[in-house]
Amino acid sequence: MSTRIDAGRVTYLAVNTGVVLFLLLPIAIIAVFALNPTPYIAFPPVGVSLRWFAKFFASADFMNALWLSLGVAAVVVVLATVIGALVALAIARGNLPGARLLTAVFLSPLMLPAILTGLALFQVFMLAGIGRPLWGLVVGHTLVAVPYVLRTTLAVLHDFDRRIEEAAAVLGAAPARVFREVTLPLIRPGVMAGGIFAFIVSFDQFPISLFLVVPNGETLPVVLFNYIRFDLDGAIAAASMVSIALALAVVFALERLIGLRAYVRL
Amino acid sequence: MRRRRQREQINGIAWAITPAALLFVLFFALPFGVMAALSLLSGNPVSNPNVAFTWRNYARLIDSDLYFDALIATLRIGLVVTILALLIGYPLAHWMARMRSRVGHALLLMAVIAPMLTGIVVRTFAWMTLLSDRGVINTTLTWLGWIEKPLPLMYGEFGVVVGLVHIYVPFMVLTLVGVIGRIDPALEEAARNLGAGRLHTFLEVTLPLSLPGILAGSLLVFALAISAYVTPVLLGGGNVLTLPMLIYQQVSASFNLGFAGALGVVLLAVSLALVVAYNAILGRLSGERRLA
Repeated sequence: MSTRIDAGRVTYLAVNTGVVLFLLLPIAIIAVFALNPTPYIAFPPVGVSLRWFAKFFASADFMNALWLSLGVAAVVVVLATVIGALVALAIARGNLPGARLLTAVFLSPLMLPAILTGLALFQVFMLAGIGRPLWGLVVGHTLVAVPYVLRTTLAVLHDFDRRIEEAAAVLGAAPARVFREVTLPLIRPGVMAGGIFAFIVSFDQFPISLFLVVPNGETLPVVLFNYIRFDLDGAIAAASMVSIALALAVVFALERLIGLRAYVRL
Repeated sequence: MRRRRQREQINGIAWAITPAALLFVLFFALPFGVMAALSLLSGNPVSNPNVAFTWRNYARLIDSDLYFDALIATLRIGLVVTILALLIGYPLAHWMARMRSRVGHALLLMAVIAPMLTGIVVRTFAWMTLLSDRGVINTTLTWLGWIEKPLPLMYGEFGVVVGLVHIYVPFMVLTLVGVIGRIDPALEEAARNLGAGRLHTFLEVTLPLSLPGILAGSLLVFALAISAYVTPVLLGGGNVLTLPMLIYQQVSASFNLGFAGALGVVLLAVSLALVVAYNAILGRLSGERRLA
């Protein structure tokens, strides 16, 4: 009896270890190719070199794309944080009718195909005769970044006791002061976490960018995508490592800031 | 009277919705409306004032084998990816939900979220290095002497499915963790105390109670998988044609905005139905939680 239970337990743990490895190994393997000096993707690796990182950082195409992506992401963070936090406040504190529906609507860019958001924006810009302006790209990214800020801010707003705000008001604080000195400090971790997600969502965004970038003004994921279609060398692996390093930094920042649990709760 | 009272309840903070509402009306709702309108017109209404209403773009989707096959392939890939993501994601979600150690839980959560925060292009590239003819898997199997010719892992639906499962498993896990975590472990213990085996307890207690999560997670993964573009292009290598690929082709190669719009409307209709169902299930779940 007890051996049967142990066998079940072992299978359970083995399956789960396998799933975790399935999730993480493909990403870890990129590090191997980023450091392997052979001119094409080859396994097993024959040595360790930084030539692909050197190629990535020396390439004007990659660097222009990297800076454009970082720049767009920076603007998107500001826009999405402000817009997302405001809409979260309105939904949680504004006593609006249909708050559930509003939340679902403002979260919908997460589930509706982003490639269609890109297509639809592209069509509108074409009909309006304004081509593909950089602000259009920023707007597209902001659309898919706002839901993350909304989600994390709403999570914090639902969590904290509304009576804290009411107590401040009862004690004579004006609404503006309650907001500035009570509400804002309390929701700050949620807003910041949402901002971090907004950054990574914009930095990694592909389907919307695909329709809205102009030749020679492409974001890093688009440049990588076009490169991979014709060339499969270590430069891509090095570029991938750079973006993975960013993602890891984000995960740790999130965990320290609010704990990842808050992200999962909603 | 009732109406007036309702209006009084809305306070000044409600105005904070304005920027988001403007953004979504102007750059989300309006563009999708334009997309739908273009799909029903015979041409570009700006350059050509004599456009007329037509079903032509939709008829073309059904008449042509190529486009219809792409639609079917998209749904088929979405279905297979969803089933596999469920089979792989459920054990992990169960482990996470029942993990007592806080550190262990945090580590697992990181393992699930880290891939989500890695770009889709990067993750697809990772699978190319694993699945290609000279990739990790084929090289290793050849070295072991198990195969003589590289297995055709990439450039077909197999590779696309593997890559998509990897990308969307975390969404399945995160949806399931919440639902499984809400099942009272006492119910499982009770079943086991009454003599049910581990498997029996799982099949009779845990699985039925997590059904809403399974449904919600599956809808989410299916909706995401049918709208994937990068992975089918790179891992399919021209042997796989899906709806999102067709949509981009229609814009980039043919500049046929009307037909691209029609394909988009079809994809949007499917996705919208899935989103509404997903929200309904999760809404009912959180309603139950509030009652409990």
